[in-house]
Parts: sequence; structure tokens; C-alpha cells
Amino acid sequence: MSRTGRPAPLAAAAGFRGTVLTVALVGVVGVLAPGCGIVSRPDAAAWDQQAQRSLTDAASQVSTARLALETAAERRTWPAYATVVVAKAEEAAGTAEEDLARLQAPPQRADAAATVLDLLDEAVSLVAEARAHAVEGRYDDSALLDDLDRIAGELEQAAP
Amino acid sequence: MKRYFAVLLGILTAIGGFVDIGDLVTNAQVGARFGTSLVWVVLVGVVGICVFAEMSGRIAAVSHRATFDLVRERLGPRMGLLNLVGSMLVTLLTFIAEIGGVALALQLVGSVHHLLVVPFVAAAVWIVLWRAKFSAIENVLGLLGLALIAFAVALWQLGPDWGELAAGLSPAEKPAAEGWATYAFFAVALFGAAMTPYEVFFFSSGGVEERWTSKDIGVMRANVFIGFPLGGLLSVAIAACAATVFLPEGIAVETLGQVGLPVAVGLGKIGLAVVVLGFFAATFGAACETGLSTGYSLAQYFGFPWGKYVRPREAAGFHLILLIATVIAAGVLLTGVDPIMVTEVSVVFSAIALPLTYFPILVVANDPDYLGEHVNGPVANAIGVVYLVVITVAALAAIPLMVVTSMGQG
Repeated sequence: MSRTGRPAPLAAAAGFRGTVLTVALVGVVGVLAPGCGIVSRPDAAAWDQQAQRSLTDAASQVSTARLALETAAERRTWPAYATVVVAKAEEAAGTAEEDLARLQAPPQRADAAATVLDLLDEAVSLVAEARAHAVEGRYDDSALLDDLDRIAGELEQAAP
Repeated sequence: MKRYFAVLLGILTAIGGFVDIGDLVTNAQVGARFGTSLVWVVLVGVVGICVFAEMSGRIAAVSHRATFDLVRERLGPRMGLLNLVGSMLVTLLTFIAEIGGVALALQLVGSVHHLLVVPFVAAAVWIVLWRAKFSAIENVLGLLGLALIAFAVALWQLGPDWGELAAGLSPAEKPAAEGWATYAFFAVALFGAAMTPYEVFFFSSGGVEERWTSKDIGVMRANVFIGFPLGGLLSVAIAACAATVFLPEGIAVETLGQVGLPVAVGLGKIGLAVVVLGFFAATFGAACETGLSTGYSLAQYFGFPWGKYVRPREAAGFHLILLIATVIAAGVLLTGVDPIMVTEVSVVFSAIALPLTYFPILVVANDPDYLGEHVNGPVANAIGVVYLVVITVAALAAIPLMVVTSMGQG
């Protein structure tokens, strides 16, 4: 009998299981720990992926805002509906921009990051302007609609 | 005449009650990103829900007892508890999503932030669950849900290239920009939305509430085999509208307001108003159904009196569960969590919980002690077994696909 009161083979098996579990736990912690940092290491592939996601999301929100203004201008929706749709688009476009801005750009993507963030910033500003127009009931500002159209195209083109 | 009216009413409420927040959001998302290339999943889901709803309805009609009541007795308390926990958590999650959906629908009418509306919606749902008659809940909200037919009318008005829509039905027509993993993730989500577990709990418990007998099996089958597929067509219409308006524009659906925009484009203000009424009815009706299903499942498992036909004083535990579930749902939504995100999570977890719900139904439907001569025939069993395999594959694939695709973001 061992000191634990178990038969020796059982104690040895329990000890072996304990060792295996400890090694597995250390391994899991070792694999996961680097991902738990507050700021992740610059990684070109991860940045590219997030940039594509943010650009696609922003383009989608810009197109949504444009469609909402157009349908409201044709009196196909009521003011509250158009306002809610554009306000949600503004919120989501802002989130898309923040998601990318939070990620530290790797050195080799510094120039691209500045261009993409400028583009996203312009998109967010235009959707915010669209929201202001929707709140005021000014749905047929053709200059704004053209700008939304242009920026949506630029966002789609910039998405790698 | 009265019997024909009952059949018609049952079919209409089955159509109107088929779509809930999960179907609205998931079908629009899928249509906007994948066109009609995932419509086959809706068809597979509709056949599956028909098969198992018919079984659970038959069980209720012949044994006069509901699903959980029999699962515990037939498969033992351990299996019953596993079934209860898995299915009830998903139903509660769906209940939260539905209450959030009602608030979002009301936000589209008055632009009042949905968080301000949530407490009133929760209170209204609870009052309806406490005071309204079962038939009133089912019929009024089911019939109002028919307003969603406006999606089919809008699709016709939008005048899509029908040949292109039909050609897009093949999975091979998936947009090239979307990966197969994302495609599979949305297939699982769509399947989970179509086969949500609460639908069979509500259906079978409702059968017990309405005191179905073997004589009602024909009417029940008409409701299931005509009403559900027609309800499924509404899901397809939602996806096709999104495919027609959003796919060419590169718009991804993330809000309930976006779901209604194609109808505004196709039908204008009146059509949109009808659809928003449909949003309200579909989500409010589903909130009542999921709320009741939470109460049904717990009360049936623990064996205390339940149901809308029992006086609240006699079914105090049942009504207390409804109250607690409503408070939990409102509390979760008031943390500021996005109801659409809750919906997206709920349909995926529905897929995970499917085997826990449908396996016991298949077992009980084969037990002559409960069903006598009405046990499953070879066709029902063959289809049921095939679906169990499909359901198990979907359940096993759900979490890996959710992780790999970052909830379908690609």
C-alpha cells in the first residue's frame, strides 16, 4: 500500500495521469497565452484579413444608407424607418472602422493602413451625414447620394 | 363546415406562425450573401420539421401527454434531464431573441431605442401568457403573421430574373467570394432556424392543451403537411427578396430594418407597413410560444400542473416559470446585447440541441405502449432515421464551423 492508502499500482497510475494532465495543461496554457495579450503582435496576414472585413462591412453600410435615403426620397418608407436604418448603418460602419484601428498595423502595412483608415473615416463621416439628412427629412441631396456611391465603390476596390 | 373552418384556420395559423426572428434574420442574411444557393437547406429543414411535428402531434393526440412528460418516463430521468437542459437553454435563448425582435420591430415604427421598449414588451408578453386564452394567442398572432406574405408579393413586384434565381438554386452557384466553410456555417444556421426545438414542444403541448384525440390526427396532419411547407415558402421569399435587392449591391444584412427594405423597394410604404406588422406578429407570437415552451418543458419534467387551460392558481409553478423566464429575458436584453446577435447565436445553438430534441420523439413514436396502432410506420421511421443522421452531423459541425468562420464572417 502506498502512503495515500491506495494499492501501489493504482497510486502509480494516478500519478501518471496527474503528470499527463499537468503536461497537457501547461501545453494548452503555452499555446493560448500568447493570444491573451492586450495588444497583439503586428501580423500582416491578420491585418489584411481584418482590413478586408472592415472595408467590406463599411461598403455594405454605405450602400445600406444610400438605399435607405433613396427609398425614403421616393416616399417608399416613413421617416422613422429611414432614420433607424441609417442610424444602425452609421453605428455598424463606426464599428468596422474601430475594429481595424484597434489592430496595430505591421510595419510593412503602414502606408496601406493609413490609406485604408482614411477611406473608412470618410465612409463613416458620409454615413453620419446621411443620418443627419434622414433625421432632418432631407432625402434627395444628390451630392450626398453621389458621394455615398463613390465611397462605396472605393471601399469595394480597396478590399483586397 | 365547422370542421373545414378548423382545418383552414389551423393551416393559416401554421403558415403565419412558421416564421420567427431566427427565420427572418437568417433567411435575409443568407439571401444577401449566397443568393438562392442555400434554399435547398430550407426545404430539407421544412421536411424535417414536418416529420417530427407530425410524430409529436400524433403522440399528443393518442397518449394525451406531451413530449417531456413521456421522455422522462420512457428514457429515464438522466436522459430526460439532459434533454431538458439542452432544449430549454436553447428555447430560453430564442425567447430572449424574440422579445428583442418585438422591440426592434416597434423601433422601426417610432424610432424609439429598442432598449426603452424592451421592459414594456416583456410586460406585454407576460400579461398575454398569463391572461390570454391559448386559442386567442395561437389564432390572432398566427393570422397576423400572414402579413409576411408581403415578401412574396414584393418579390413578384421586384421583377427579378426568374431564370437567374432558379439557376442560383444549385449549391455550385455559391458566390465565388464566399468560402465553403462560411457556406456550411450558414447552412447549419438555416437548418437550426427551420427546425427550432421549441416548435415541436409548443405543437405537442398545444395538442394536449386543446385535448386532441386520435380523431384529430387528420386535421393535425393537414396543418403540418400544408401549413408548414407554405410557411417555409415565406422563408424562401425573404431570402429571394434579399438576393434580388442586396446581393448585387454587396449589402450584408445585420439589422431588422434591412430585412424589410426590399419590400419598401418593391411595394412602397403600404407594403412595408404590412411587413412590419408581420415582423411584430411573428416575433410576438414566437415570444409567446417560446415562453410557454419554457414553462411546458420544466413543468412536464418535474410533473407539476401546467397549461393555459388550468387555472393560474392551480398551475402556480408553471406561471412562476413564465414570469421568471420573462424577467431573465428582459434582464439579458437590458444589458445592451444586440438582439440580432442573440438571434444568430440562438439558431446555431438550436442546431446543436437538435438531437436532444428529436431522438426521444422518434423513440416514443415507436413505442406501442403509448401509441398503440398509431406507432410510426416504416416510411416515418426511415425518414426519421435519415433525419437523425443529418441532425447529428449538423449538431457536431455547428461549433467548429462557428469558430472557423468567426460566426460566419468568413
